[in-house]
Amino acid sequence: MEDTQNSAPGTLPPAQAAKLGAPRRAADAQSTTKRLQTELMQLMTSSAPGISAFPSADGNLLSWTATIEGPDDTPYAGLTFKLSFAFPSNYPYAPPTVLFKTPIYHPNVDFSGRICLDILKDKWTAAYNTQTVLLSLQSLLGEPNNASPLNGEAAELWDKDPAEFKRKVLGRHRDVDEE
Amino acid sequence: MAADDLDAQEALAREFQPSLEGPLVGEKKSSHAITEEYAKADPVYVAKTAALPQKYSHYRPILGDGNCGWRATGFSYFETLISLRNAAQLEEEVARMTSLNNFLTTVGGFQEWVFEDMVDETIGLLKELAALIPNSVEAAQELLMQRFNNPEISNAIIYHLRLLASSWLKGNPAPYQDFIQGDLGIDGYCKEWLEAPNQEIDHLGIMLLIDVLLKPVGFAVEIIYLDRSAGSQVNSHMFQDEEDGVPTNPGSPIIHLLYRPSHYDILYKDNNAAFLLQQQVGEVVVNPNIQVNRATSFSHHHDVRSTPSSLHGFSDLDMTALLSIPGFCAPPPSHHGFPAQYSPVESTFPGSPISAVSPASSGPSPGNTSSVSLATQFPPQQPTQILASPILSAFPSPETQLPIHNHTSQSNPIGPPLSSHAPLPSHPPLPSELSPPNSASSFRPSKYEWEAAADWQEGPVVFKTSTFKNSHYNTAHYNNPNFQPEEWSPDCEESENGSKSRKRST
Repeated sequence: MEDTQNSAPGTLPPAQAAKLGAPRRAADAQSTTKRLQTELMQLMTSSAPGISAFPSADGNLLSWTATIEGPDDTPYAGLTFKLSFAFPSNYPYAPPTVLFKTPIYHPNVDFSGRICLDILKDKWTAAYNTQTVLLSLQSLLGEPNNASPLNGEAAELWDKDPAEFKRKVLGRHRDVDEE
Repeated sequence: MAADDLDAQEALAREFQPSLEGPLVGEKKSSHAITEEYAKADPVYVAKTAALPQKYSHYRPILGDGNCGWRATGFSYFETLISLRNAAQLEEEVARMTSLNNFLTTVGGFQEWVFEDMVDETIGLLKELAALIPNSVEAAQELLMQRFNNPEISNAIIYHLRLLASSWLKGNPAPYQDFIQGDLGIDGYCKEWLEAPNQEIDHLGIMLLIDVLLKPVGFAVEIIYLDRSAGSQVNSHMFQDEEDGVPTNPGSPIIHLLYRPSHYDILYKDNNAAFLLQQQVGEVVVNPNIQVNRATSFSHHHDVRSTPSSLHGFSDLDMTALLSIPGFCAPPPSHHGFPAQYSPVESTFPGSPISAVSPASSGPSPGNTSSVSLATQFPPQQPTQILASPILSAFPSPETQLPIHNHTSQSNPIGPPLSSHAPLPSHPPLPSELSPPNSASSFRPSKYEWEAAADWQEGPVVFKTSTFKNSHYNTAHYNNPNFQPEEWSPDCEESENGSKSRKRST
């Protein structure tokens, strides 16, 4: 069965091709897997500074762990944040679920690590990928969207008291182990 | 009626939710199901849906998951390609879709990794259909249903279409950008409306999809609007390549989409034949549409009506000579003798210079063409095929015996195309007529209408298509909003003949 699925489309004799629908239906996440493999290759070969991601150790390609380094000239400079990516089986036609695993004090992240970012919700398109999500999150660290905060206090302090904001960021940050 | 009732019904209409249960693409069923669905609704709906099955015999429900418009259009694209039974045309679509990858990259701005898997599904399906069609159209249809009901594959193909539409807009903003509402801008619109998965297609989106996917392959789209606007009939709008309001490709296959606010299904007009038989009865299936939708071009209904009876007068002609031709069985009385005698008209065009008007027809698939034409060529065989197919229960049984008669009597709209053959004054002599690969569909009733044909003029519009002879492989075409590749398709044949005759006469 696996061989049948992996052979190039169009090369099968017609009779066999006609039966392809059933076996292919079983392997529902085949294209998702292929897409994620492609993304992994991109992340490993490209040199986007300050971000990295890799599938979790359990061998499930739908579950990744990523890291973002806090950008310089932001309250997060010098800090490293771990995130979890959970890809749905219909990825890339639905966004991954992304959570901050490292506790972070940020206007658009709540205390469970949930993120308010439009491209992870209704603005998602299949043209985004893990790398663009990580880059977006990295820039979100330096440019929070204070108009729709998940953490109202952080949004307020960002504008009013940068020193206090920085203190809260450092106070909340702690390294987490891989669970 | 109390205002409360109206309000309640309006609320019902607003709350109409297409079913999220069931297959992505449903089985084709009678349009009467729609009538029943609305039987207790607002009188406007009752009237409109009651009239619907008279024009559109069947419909195919599409799951309302936000992709219905995309899925309905994409499915119809493949389904229409299958119904044309032209493997060469499918191969051309493979080439076109492959060449559009470059368009996705350079104009759309999408990196290859974004779309390569999706395009693989589209192209893979086209290739497999091309391989299946010469052997079994049923298998091709089955494969199409399987693929479109496999969410992974179906969604990949649909997203490919979304990217094509998005790229098309970016490459041709002028005709469309004024339709973009708000301050989204082209990029914003593409991201929010076209590239967002499960975002239902809006009017601009469907225009873009038709322009990038269907017009280049010569398909027209009729959208039938089922809403509460005044009137007892549904409104409809035709999307096709036009020049000064006249279709440039009048013989083109037509895809019918039923639009209810925020939902699309597929409609079919084949009253007298099921999908499987569209080729054999292709003239019947498609031409009524043409007739209905392009009434300005047609004026010969009356001639058609008289056709069957006049045919009987020729029933005794020349039958014995035909019997000497190998493979030609004794035809049933009254219809086959006559067309056979005149079939030289038909047999000229696959190989004739005139047929070069359509690159696809003169193109890579003589074998395929012949397999198609042979079916119609030897009508005595046809009843057998037909009877073997369960679908045929759709035919009244007496007419099943006489397919040609069947066509004529059931749908007078064939008329106009029929006549288009006539102005060809000179034909090669009879002996050439049954040489298999050339003699396409000698038994089409078209040739019966000499008189009607003589003054059958559609204007020089069709002729225009002969100016676009460029290759499919040249992507520059797609930047021209008026680009319309020519291709052979059985369903277009009559109108091409029309252009042929016009060519002669000009």
